[in-house]
Amino acid sequence: MNMKKQTLKRLFSIIGKYKPMLILTIVLALVFVVVSLNIPILVGDAVDVIIDKGKVNFDLLIPILVKIVIVVLLGGISQWVMSIINNYITYNTVRDIRKIAFNKLNKLPVKYIDSNPHGSIVSRIITDVDTFADGLLMGFTQVFTGIATIVGTLIFMLLMSPATTVAVIVLTPLSLFAAKFISGKTYALFKKQSEIRADQTSITEEMITNEKTVKAFNYEDKAIEDFVKINNDLSKVSLKAIFFSSLTNPVTRFVNSMVYMAVALIGSLSVLNGVLSVGMLVSFLSYANQYTKPFNEISGVITELQNAIACLNRVFDLIYEDEYAPDGDERFENNNGTVEFKNVYFSYSPDKPLIEDFSLKVNPGETIAIVGPTGCGKTTLINILMRFYDVNKGEILINSKNIKDISRHELRSTFGMVLQETWLKSATILENLKMGVPNATEEEVIEAAKLTRAHSFIKRLPDGYNTVIGESGGSLSEGQKQLLCITRVMVMNPQMLILDEATSSIDTRTELKISKAFDLLMKNKTSFVVAHRLSTIKDADRILVMKDGNVIEIGNHNELMSQKGFYYNLYKSQFEI
Amino acid sequence: MKKVLIYLKKYIKETIFAPLLKMSEALLELFVPIVIANIVDVGISSGTDYIIKQCLILLALGALGLLFSVSAQYMSARAAVGMATDLKADLFRHIQSFSYAEHEKIGASTLITRMTSDINQVQSGVNLTLRLFLRSPFIVFGSMIMAFTLDVKSALVFVVCIPLLSVVVFSVMAVTIPKYKNVQEKLDSLLLTTRENLSGVRVFRAFCKEQDEIENFNEKNSVLNIAQRAVAKISSLTNPLTFIIVNISAVVLIWIGAIRVDSGDISQGTVIALYNYMAQILVELIKLANLIVSITKSIASAGRISKVFEVQDSTVDSETVIDKFDFKSKIAVQFKDVSFKYPDSSENSLQNISFVANTGETIGIIGGTGSGKTTLVNLISRFYDITGGELEIFGKPVTSVTEKFLRDNIAIVPQKAELFKGSIRDNIKMGKMVATEEELNTALKISQAEEFVLKKDGELDYQIEQYGKNLSGGQKQRLAIARAIIKNAPILILDDSASALDLATDAKLRKALKELPQNPTVFIVSQRVSAVMNSDKILVLDDGELVSSGTHDELLKNSDVYKEICNSQFGGEEQ
Repeated sequence: MNMKKQTLKRLFSIIGKYKPMLILTIVLALVFVVVSLNIPILVGDAVDVIIDKGKVNFDLLIPILVKIVIVVLLGGISQWVMSIINNYITYNTVRDIRKIAFNKLNKLPVKYIDSNPHGSIVSRIITDVDTFADGLLMGFTQVFTGIATIVGTLIFMLLMSPATTVAVIVLTPLSLFAAKFISGKTYALFKKQSEIRADQTSITEEMITNEKTVKAFNYEDKAIEDFVKINNDLSKVSLKAIFFSSLTNPVTRFVNSMVYMAVALIGSLSVLNGVLSVGMLVSFLSYANQYTKPFNEISGVITELQNAIACLNRVFDLIYEDEYAPDGDERFENNNGTVEFKNVYFSYSPDKPLIEDFSLKVNPGETIAIVGPTGCGKTTLINILMRFYDVNKGEILINSKNIKDISRHELRSTFGMVLQETWLKSATILENLKMGVPNATEEEVIEAAKLTRAHSFIKRLPDGYNTVIGESGGSLSEGQKQLLCITRVMVMNPQMLILDEATSSIDTRTELKISKAFDLLMKNKTSFVVAHRLSTIKDADRILVMKDGNVIEIGNHNELMSQKGFYYNLYKSQFEI
Repeated sequence: MKKVLIYLKKYIKETIFAPLLKMSEALLELFVPIVIANIVDVGISSGTDYIIKQCLILLALGALGLLFSVSAQYMSARAAVGMATDLKADLFRHIQSFSYAEHEKIGASTLITRMTSDINQVQSGVNLTLRLFLRSPFIVFGSMIMAFTLDVKSALVFVVCIPLLSVVVFSVMAVTIPKYKNVQEKLDSLLLTTRENLSGVRVFRAFCKEQDEIENFNEKNSVLNIAQRAVAKISSLTNPLTFIIVNISAVVLIWIGAIRVDSGDISQGTVIALYNYMAQILVELIKLANLIVSITKSIASAGRISKVFEVQDSTVDSETVIDKFDFKSKIAVQFKDVSFKYPDSSENSLQNISFVANTGETIGIIGGTGSGKTTLVNLISRFYDITGGELEIFGKPVTSVTEKFLRDNIAIVPQKAELFKGSIRDNIKMGKMVATEEELNTALKISQAEEFVLKKDGELDYQIEQYGKNLSGGQKQRLAIARAIIKNAPILILDDSASALDLATDAKLRKALKELPQNPTVFIVSQRVSAVMNSDKILVLDDGELVSSGTHDELLKNSDVYKEICNSQFGGEEQ
């Protein structure tokens, strides 16, 4: 409950700027309700002057009918304006929430993005916000008018016939109870359904994405068998859930028809006693209809709203997530490219220590290679150097300045980075290559692409440099994507370099051909190179051999070979059979 | 659409009775205004007993309605859930029959959406349609007919009013449906930007692109907002317009009714009844409008599902298959002038490949990225059909046996180690359903997986998460290798499947493979010379062509491409 309150408070802080619109929509809802409540009275009045053959008072009837027309037009227009305003508020709120959420995304630590499934974050910003929009819109259009209708009807009815009204008031909650009872029962079923459905989705996902293995092992029949089993389980639960939840409508409708009957009974008896006129009975019956309908709608809307609030909550969880540590504001002046790790401690989770008391001084222009088995912490060094993650203890100095005191943009723009996981934006090749230097000319880009040998395949693409590549690289091969990533950094020509398995997907022949380009790029630059292909790092000034987060050997290729240690074995093993 | 609707056939009774029951319920509702008219016209003059009797009739109508509609709800739920269940199972079966070509053409993510959300949409669409689609028009037209039975002249108002309403409802629909599609597209593009910012977070941050991306998102966000509001502006016309039309019709109705009462043609109660019918129309129209949106969506989903059913497996077993290989044949695999072109490509990916793999030999395949190595081995398992030349396995054309038989005789370790949710044991047993503990252990040993499996909680019973998320790349590869080895097939294909292993483990693995007791014919695809150099025959591929083949020593002498590859990896160093 408390959480709900907090969510609503947060919502109002966003929706607050549409306050005048909100007030207007409430006023219009009231106008519409008063108008629609007046129609039955006017119709009743009209019926009362149409008594029998020759006893129709047209002089009284005409003004009543004119009044109805005016009132109806007024109602229609206010309803129209109201829904335009509601749409305006809803969609703008949704836009605002998405904007805030996306802004937030860019201020979250990389850790958050690494440790949360991307699908779940995307569905918060897209699907959840959409569901919330549906709920909000429904809330606006139905809850306001619904409540106003109930209250208004009650007042009108009380004024006309207290006895009949009491009957209505006593009977109506029955439908609410019935609805509540049913939804309570079905909640568990729906929960079960969504659990089984989630299982089924994950089987589907697994069997479809892993289809290569499924086919290779003739696993189709077993997969189908598993699927059919879960499918049948789902079927049973779904049938129950859908059937029981669909009882709400007939049951409440039945309660309503009881209310209707009660009104007809008491009302017509009152007519007999002369308390009511026939026209009033007619209006009363209309009211009985009008009065019970909002109850049905509201009970539907309430589930919808609960769902909407749950979704909103998920979005707000994201929006109120802790941001990364504030930015420093210092800048590098005359960066010479010294990098110093001073007693650095880092781990992704406190119970699994990784890097402990790591110190290293890198001189300007030095090339540092990092090798070691998977999981030894090679990539971690890069994560903390680029401040994707912050060190737990100790400090990293670049140009004698703690990187925490420097703005992230300043820090990151001094580095050029090529990662093993080639990542390209769904845009044209040219746009991708110009990412580091938006105002680079096409000639500069082409020149860099020629150096990296990317030019030859780019020019063979349908639109050359203006070919749009699909999401995550689309039809390009891993190797081609990696060449583009290298070119991207080549265009940028940064002060320092980070190459994390930058050529892992490029075949060795091509690699050899582009090594000149690398030499050019790395000339006089402090560079960090991670690779498992040892031939690529033999020329490094110093090689760090890492294992389990620690540096176990350090030195150049020849020194390490003569030590006959871990590196020696690693190097030799690649020629073993 | 048809392909989806036939699934209702099994539930034909439910499909027919559900709407009929709903209609019966609606019919009962249509009697209510008549009963009220009776109360007003007869009851007021004839006294309490009559009124009570009429009210009991109202109650009975309500109760009977409840009975009808509950049965209708049950039947429609049964039909909808039942058909969706069958549809899902068949679609899954159908997707399982696809070859690689179909999978690649359609794409996994859209197949998954069609299996899940599209079928759900169809299910709820069928459910709603069975329950409501007949009911609303029935009430609307029923009201009109009832009005005619009461008084023909007054009922003419309905004849004008209903077409007018239909025009409003349908033209709003016609205008908005394409616009909804437009909104959906805008939303998709927003989704793409969001997803990109997650998957590319390191790149965007490294290149300091956060602000650009925020602007990009805001722009798309605003475009979506404008599109949404544009649709809303039109769709929000429906309710006010129908409200006005129905109520103005009611005014006209009362006016005509008044004249008719004055002339003594109808009674006061009849006017009330006529008015009540008009009011019922308004209520039903609002329901119908909501229903139509949902039905439109379901129709779109059904179309997407049908599209999947229309795709046929391109590698169909021929009708004259005899599942027999001559395992004593000296030649295990023979390519005769084989060419292959991917379905949507204009150029051949493999061009005139010819070679022989003798039984028991180890064949190394080497070449740069995109040279066609994986494509070549995929042809052996018939994941694709060759588009030119002949391919024979143990002396028989690859198409002369069933796919199942063929693949039972080939063990494959694909490039990407794909594991499944479940225990390590279950995963390895995929290769051999009835493997003994001993066989499992041997497979783990050969694949160099034993060491890390023993360290896991529960060892072989260690639970692997979906896609093997809780294992490292090297561990996944080793388990995938174990899975293939336990199969003990006469042909073993390793498609660059040791790339994530460190060099020492890779070497140990290769040594163990050499010593496999059953001596299978092995294909090793790799970029590393060290992985293939001890093969009996090495195929060197370049740009889809077999540029040379032979042993390591032969190739060093006469293949420039091979020499270049060697030089690039060993840097001229002596081995």
